[in-house]
Amino acid sequence: MKLSRRTFTQATLGAAAISVGGPLFAQDRPLRLGLLAPRSGVAAFLGEDSIRAVRWGVDRINRSGGIAGRKVELVIQEETTPKDTVERFRHLALQEKVDAIHGLISTGVTLAVAPVAEDERVLLQCWDGTTQNGVQESMPKTRFVFRSTDNECEAVMSSLMAIKRFKGKFATIAGVNSDYSYGRNCWETFKTLLSRYDIEAKVVSEQWIRVGATDLTTNVAALNAAKPDLIFNSLFLSDLPIFLRQASAAGLLANAKIVSTVAGGQINDLRSSFVPEGALLGQNTFYFDLPGASELQKSFVAEYRDRYKAIPTSSADRAYFNLMAYKAGVEKAAKAAGRWPKTDEIADAIAGNDIESLGGRGRYRADKIAEQMFYQGFSKNSTQHEYPGLSDITAAFSDQLQKPAGADYWKWIKTADFRV
Amino acid sequence: MQYANLFLAGLFQAAILFLVACGLQLIFGVQKVVNLACGSFYALGAFFAITAVGLLHQWQMPMIFLVPALVLSGVLVGTVGAPLELLLRPVYRRDPSYQLLLTFGLLLMFQDVFRFFWGAAPRSMDSSLYGIYGTIDISGLQIPVYNFLVIGASILIAMILGLSLKRTRIGRIVRATAENRNMTEALGVNSSKVFTMVFTLGCILGTVGGALVIPTSAASMTMAAELVVEAFAVVVIGGLGSMAGAAVGAIIVGLMRAFAVSLAPEVEILSIYLVVVVVLLIRPVGLFGRSAS
Repeated sequence: MKLSRRTFTQATLGAAAISVGGPLFAQDRPLRLGLLAPRSGVAAFLGEDSIRAVRWGVDRINRSGGIAGRKVELVIQEETTPKDTVERFRHLALQEKVDAIHGLISTGVTLAVAPVAEDERVLLQCWDGTTQNGVQESMPKTRFVFRSTDNECEAVMSSLMAIKRFKGKFATIAGVNSDYSYGRNCWETFKTLLSRYDIEAKVVSEQWIRVGATDLTTNVAALNAAKPDLIFNSLFLSDLPIFLRQASAAGLLANAKIVSTVAGGQINDLRSSFVPEGALLGQNTFYFDLPGASELQKSFVAEYRDRYKAIPTSSADRAYFNLMAYKAGVEKAAKAAGRWPKTDEIADAIAGNDIESLGGRGRYRADKIAEQMFYQGFSKNSTQHEYPGLSDITAAFSDQLQKPAGADYWKWIKTADFRV
Repeated sequence: MQYANLFLAGLFQAAILFLVACGLQLIFGVQKVVNLACGSFYALGAFFAITAVGLLHQWQMPMIFLVPALVLSGVLVGTVGAPLELLLRPVYRRDPSYQLLLTFGLLLMFQDVFRFFWGAAPRSMDSSLYGIYGTIDISGLQIPVYNFLVIGASILIAMILGLSLKRTRIGRIVRATAENRNMTEALGVNSSKVFTMVFTLGCILGTVGGALVIPTSAASMTMAAELVVEAFAVVVIGGLGSMAGAAVGAIIVGLMRAFAVSLAPEVEILSIYLVVVVVLLIRPVGLFGRSAS
């Protein structure tokens, strides 16, 4: 065959493109991280807090040379309904060609997106959205999907701490919980643990608060009529400060003990004026004023407060944890492969790495479920800020609060060896 | 005493619902427009009140004037109804479906207005303001004075509105226009001005309702759509176009919710619609409504 100059040039360029263009060009371009976060509606503050933390983390990563030598850039899309979010997930993966996708707060959305991530072999790390019943049914085992700690961890911890602190001081209880699986699971967890530790308490009222409800006048009146000794709630949206404000004004909190599984998410709207001293306030994986906090946390909180005039919450911590878990996974896989790793190699390298997150240490288990530190304490008036402070803070790693891999949650809490 | 507590909580709900439903009734009674955007005016009043009271707070306004300030902010922002009424003019004499579509469009557009000015996250007022007037102790029950003030303000507004419609010249013109628009026009009444005035007044009732509820609550993007449903339940129970019906319907819905939340929380919403269904079956025009014939 006669080789012309034109054919030779074309063949050479083609070979170069095939052999060099793929992996090398991929490494030269910035690493694109897709984010799916709620940006409107009742959960918007969770998404905003998460995005702020990721931006903060990405700035630091880029200043120190990127992830395995590649700068990181963010592509942000909104988490809304399951159907629309699945479309946006596909858009990020196929059109934007992101390297990994982080985000998702709602369990319903997570359950819709996760199977797509598995099918498309796209790495998905969820910030939240792991309420028990749905997860057990739909995502028993995943390769590319990483899930947050079980949403029920805080309910387990609150229940155990409430039992320890208030045992013998209450005979009647009331539940004020979100009217969906999370709220119902939290309330059921509390009742199950009361029963397990042989504490007899009469349920005098069960209030189910619609997600996004802003008027709780009638609920407070119903609780006032029931006069419970202890009120257990898992409210975490704007309904929590509304409830506590109204309950305080109605004198409901003067005698009743308050157990709030995840109050820390609303810290910016809670005030000592209506949060009674001694209320159990769950903080999830991050408490902004933790005694003996790491330099990382102190630095983040200071910069966050200075920039946004607000207090960061556990949403920020969960997002940052995932960013750093991804970084650790990529760098481990890259080191092992001696080249830029493939998605499945990264997915296999994320679990087991110890991560320093904003709220403390964390890691992914082999079954791709996160483990993180949890904090809860009792409210006290603070002279330093208008938010209620915390005393007697308990820190627990989630291996104390979360069912082991493959276990059934409802069976597990009846037999687990709790040491909180 | 436990039922007294629920009763007062129900009345508080009813007071707010009445204001919104009253605006809905007034607009339908005179202009024959079913205003689906009534919930948007309620939400607008709530969002605006947060901004207005926040500013007044910064300017050191004594917070004892909270309720008058809220009412005033509601009245102020409610005047947005005047220019909006111009949008309705092309559909007054057309099929009611056009009016429904137009006002539903307004409801959706207001969502973006809220998002633009106040952001997508729920907003609330300084949380200490709800307790600014203290509480009243009734046989061991602590009832916030603010709740009584809102109920009182609602009753006062209802009385002023009722007296104005019955005893003043403008009120007579409004009632005449509601009765027979063509005849009043033939007698020299400028019905366009009457319509603008009535629509603005209807909006103001909604915005005042939203402003008054906000110290106990929070303003969110979804509050408009949620209230529309309850307001229409009030109207169906009371009878479309009847002010007395609005009052009775609001009290029924408010009390049903309060007692259901305590006695049977699982059927809180269902209980309201059971009443609606019963009223529709027994008296389709509502308790105080008049049949078309």
